[in-house]
This record gives sequence, C-alpha cells and structure tokens, in this order.
Amino acid sequence: MLPFTYALRNLFRDPSRLLQTVGGSAVVVLLLIAAVALNQGMDTVLSASGSPQNVILVGKGSEKSIERSEVGISAESAAATSITGIDSKLKVLAVSGEISYQAPITTASGVEEQALLRGVLEKALLVHTSVRLLEGHFPGPGEAMVGRLTHRKLGVEKDDLAVGKLLKFGDTEVKISGRFAAPGTVLESEIWFDRNDLASLTQRDSLSSITLRLAGDGSGSIDDVELFTFQRNDLELSAIREDHYYDKLSVFYKPIKIMTWVTAALVAAGAVFGGLNTLYAAFAARIKEMATLQSIGYTRVALFVSLIQESLLATLTGTLLAFILAYFLLDGRTVPFSIGTFTLTLTPMVIFSGLVAGILLGTIGTLPPAIRCLLPSLPKALRSS
Amino acid sequence: MNPHISVKSVTKAFTKGKTTITPLENLSLDVPRGEFLSLMGPSGSGKTTLLNLIAGIDTPTSGQILIDGNDIARLTRAQLTRWRAKHVGYIFQLYHLVPILSAYENVELPLLLGKLGKSERKKKILSALDLVGLGDRADHRPSELSGGQEQRVAIARAIVHDPELLVADEPTGDLDRESADSILNLLDTLATKHGKTIVMVTHDPKASASAHRALQLEKGQFIEEGHLLTHA
Repeated sequence: MLPFTYALRNLFRDPSRLLQTVGGSAVVVLLLIAAVALNQGMDTVLSASGSPQNVILVGKGSEKSIERSEVGISAESAAATSITGIDSKLKVLAVSGEISYQAPITTASGVEEQALLRGVLEKALLVHTSVRLLEGHFPGPGEAMVGRLTHRKLGVEKDDLAVGKLLKFGDTEVKISGRFAAPGTVLESEIWFDRNDLASLTQRDSLSSITLRLAGDGSGSIDDVELFTFQRNDLELSAIREDHYYDKLSVFYKPIKIMTWVTAALVAAGAVFGGLNTLYAAFAARIKEMATLQSIGYTRVALFVSLIQESLLATLTGTLLAFILAYFLLDGRTVPFSIGTFTLTLTPMVIFSGLVAGILLGTIGTLPPAIRCLLPSLPKALRSS
Repeated sequence: MNPHISVKSVTKAFTKGKTTITPLENLSLDVPRGEFLSLMGPSGSGKTTLLNLIAGIDTPTSGQILIDGNDIARLTRAQLTRWRAKHVGYIFQLYHLVPILSAYENVELPLLLGKLGKSERKKKILSALDLVGLGDRADHRPSELSGGQEQRVAIARAIVHDPELLVADEPTGDLDRESADSILNLLDTLATKHGKTIVMVTHDPKASASAHRALQLEKGQFIEEGHLLTHA
C-alpha cells in the first residue's frame, strides 16, 4: 500500500481543485443535512402534537381538516355526559370544544399576517396537557394569548407579541394576556382567543371540533367515543384519535417533503457533477504517475485505495465544514409551515446522514474518475501526456 | 549458461479498428546476465514494445519471454505487478518522479512494497542515492533538481530494491550531453560492477555506443548486430 502521506500531500497539489472538491461536498452535505433536518423536524412536531390519549370529534367528512369541520355547540355537553372514561380534574371533565380558524392578524407594529387562531375555554388546558403558561394569564373576553413561536409564524419580532400589546382581528383589538409554551407541538405557533370572542368575531354559531382526553387508567377507549358517534347519529360526528389525525396530516405534507428532497437532490447533483469533474481533471492529470507506480510494482487496488483516501480526505473535510455551517445556520432555527412551526435540530440521525453522504461522495464519487485513471493498459498510460 | 533474458518467437499485434498492427513479429533474443544491451531503431520499429515486454509492462500476443527461465508471458496482470516489484527497475525518459515526494521518498517507493523496517529502508535509500551521487539531495523535491539529477533519482529508485534487471526507455533523451554521459557511465557501472542486466532503448548512437551490445530494430525485426564496446 502507498503511505497515507501520499494521499494527504496529493490533496494540496492544486489548491483550487481542493477548494472545489471541499466546497462541493460541503454544499451537498449541507443540503442533505437541511433536507433531513427539515423532514425530521416536521415529522417530530406532527407526531408530538397528537396524544394517543386524546380523541377529536369532528363533523362527518371533515376528518382531514379541523378548520373545515363544523360541530354543533350542544355536542360538547352531549359528549361529556354520554362518553365514559373521560379524564377529569377537580370534577371538571377533560372535554374541550374549540374553534379553529385561520385569519389575518395585525400586530402592534402594523404587520398583517395569516395566523392560526384557536378559540378555547380554560378547560382546554385539561386536554392540551403540554401547554404551560410562561407569563401572564389565560385569555378572558377581549384578550388573547400567544404561543412561544407565534412570532416566527407571523414573521415578526418577539417583542411585537409581548404581553400587554394589542392585536387586531379585522377592526377589533384584543390585548395579549399571556404567552404559553407547548414544547415540540404545533400549538406553540397559535394564538388562543376566548372561545366566545372568536365565535363572535368569526360569526360562527358552531364549534370546529371537540377534543376529549381519555382517562389514563384505561377506563375509556376510542371505541366508547365511536359508539357515541353511532348512537348520536343526529350530531353527525366522526371520532379520530389525535395522534392519528396528525399522522394523516403528515401524509398530507408528503409532497412538500418530496419537493424538499427533489430540490436538495437537484442542487446536490450540480455540486456532485462539479466535484466529479474536478476529480476527473485531477486524476486524469495523474494517469502517467499511476502507471509509473504500477510499473514499480503497486497494484491497481493499492492505487485505488490511495485515490479513495485522497478524495475521502477532501469530502470529509467538506462534511466537517458542512457540520460547522449547519451548526451556525440551521441548528435551533425555527421554520414556519401552514399549521405551525418546527425546529431544525442536528440530531444524531441528521449528523449520521451527513456523515454517510460525505463517505459516499468520497467513495462512490471517486469510482468513475479512479477507474478511468487506472483502467488504461500500462504501455498506453505510460505514454499519456 | 542460461541467458538471463530469452525472448522466443515473440509476436505482438494490436488491433485498431479493422487494422492489425504488428510491431514485433516472431522475434527472438538472448541477453546474458550483466549485459548492457541497447536497442536502436526508428520510431515505430518496435523497440519500446520489446522493452515493455521484457519489463513485464506488456504481454506478447504469442511466444515466450523467459526471465531466469520463467515465462513471464504467462503471468496475469496482478502476477506481473508482483514480479516487477521484485525483479525489475524501470528508468523512463522523462524520469516519472512523483512531484509531491522528495528524492528520498521517491526512492523509497519500491521498498514500501516489501517488509523492510524503517531503518533498513533508510540504509538502502541513502546507499542508492550515494551510488548515483545524490546523497546530499535526499530532501529535495523533483522540481528542485536538474534534469540530470532527476534521472539519477529515477535510477536510484530503479535499483534501490536490488533488481537483477534494469530497463531504460530513452534515459538520456531529455538530457544535455554532459548529463547524458554521466547517466550512461552510471548504467555501465551498474552492469559491469553490480551485475545488473540492462536493456536500454535509445535513438542516440552515442548512447548506444556506451552499451556492451547494440541491436538495430526495424519493422519488428533485428536488422543488424554489432559489438560496440567490450568491457573486460
């Protein structure tokens, strides 16, 4: 085998080519990291948003979109009294009729953006158990509370949504009464209104959905809720487990994920071809040298390993650069999407994917130029210019 | 006594499209151990093809190439590579040194294929560099050496693992007269004092005159043989 220093020194033969290879692989790996982090972030937030203990009642035929659903207000009390095994706290049943609505909201600084609004009563906290008030209080009439990441969804400064500031819904002003967290869920990007306020603002006389939380002791089940929907056929309800609802949403976002991959793949393909071209040029210039080493007695396998070492060094340097860039540019960055906001995180899976990409670029990417460099017959290669 | 090299009825043919080119046809040659043989001839006469066949760089279409009685024409590419590592030192017209390595490291290349320790390698490398008169240039890179010095490093690389056979393809073709003479003297010393069998291809009659025996090739056949110089 050729000494490792041979591969190392070869890297610096042509600094501009080295720069191209390192830069190209950094771009490819960074894009892959971004695509994986994006997909993983979206999946994580959707899977964290639904609890298997929660069941959502929606209007028949609206299982795929709560916002389009309409449920009679009376269904809330009917569900609470008819379904057994519902969780409760201080004798208050964990049943929350809610209005979900998307509408433009104007912030104190005058920015108007589409926002996710949820009209709730205080018992919503019994079903959305991940919600914690960070400051202020639950909204009463004329008030709203904002999620920790709502400012990212609206694209405004955090201070623009500080407690005490005003929000405008149409011509109506509401005061921000509090700020809440619901770590890792889509709720963190929402604005919660008093339910009666939102009903009147949106001129609705119905709910969008009823979320109920089954008792943790197993006394209630989805079957009981489904039985209720069959028995009370007149209410025209469908029951769906909350985690299943978000799973279905995940499928709905599949085309977006595919587009992410396609975009990343297209840009990466450009970088890969650029890198391949660089390697072709770098190796083509050394056909005679490779032939000389073969004439000395080095096998093609030994030379191939050396070429792989060389390009692995370059692509792994690019990978390292991509990790550093990802750490500063991507890690912890929140990305808004239609129903919430998710966070890009450099998880072990993301890092592993980047590392695998770097290794594949250095090995599979080297195959064509290396084969082209080592394949010619020795007499021909020794005569090459 | 058996010749060191015995080329027996060797034919080498290449097919280019529908045309078959035969640079060597039914050629035979014996080279005794320790002889310094020069092959001369015009371009396309087949001299480099013959040199490559003797060095195990190429294989014949038919015939035998016996080196120490072993027919290397029957070896596979991988076997030939291993054989070359042990038995052949190749000297090129344009030196073919690895530019990123120092003279010392270039000479070390054939030794890295063996099992010698670092100190043993060092001893052999310095000894080879001393023999070619470049002991003080071990740390220099090829770009820091003259053409003649580069060729000396290439010779040191060719002899460092002590092969019995040295093949040289136009070793003085890119050098001035003074450097060329010095290289030819060195090759002569390697043959006469160190017992190396040397086959050299050259266009230069003066270089050819330095050899023990000169053969003229034309269209794949020897046309003339003459003893140009005798070494006691």
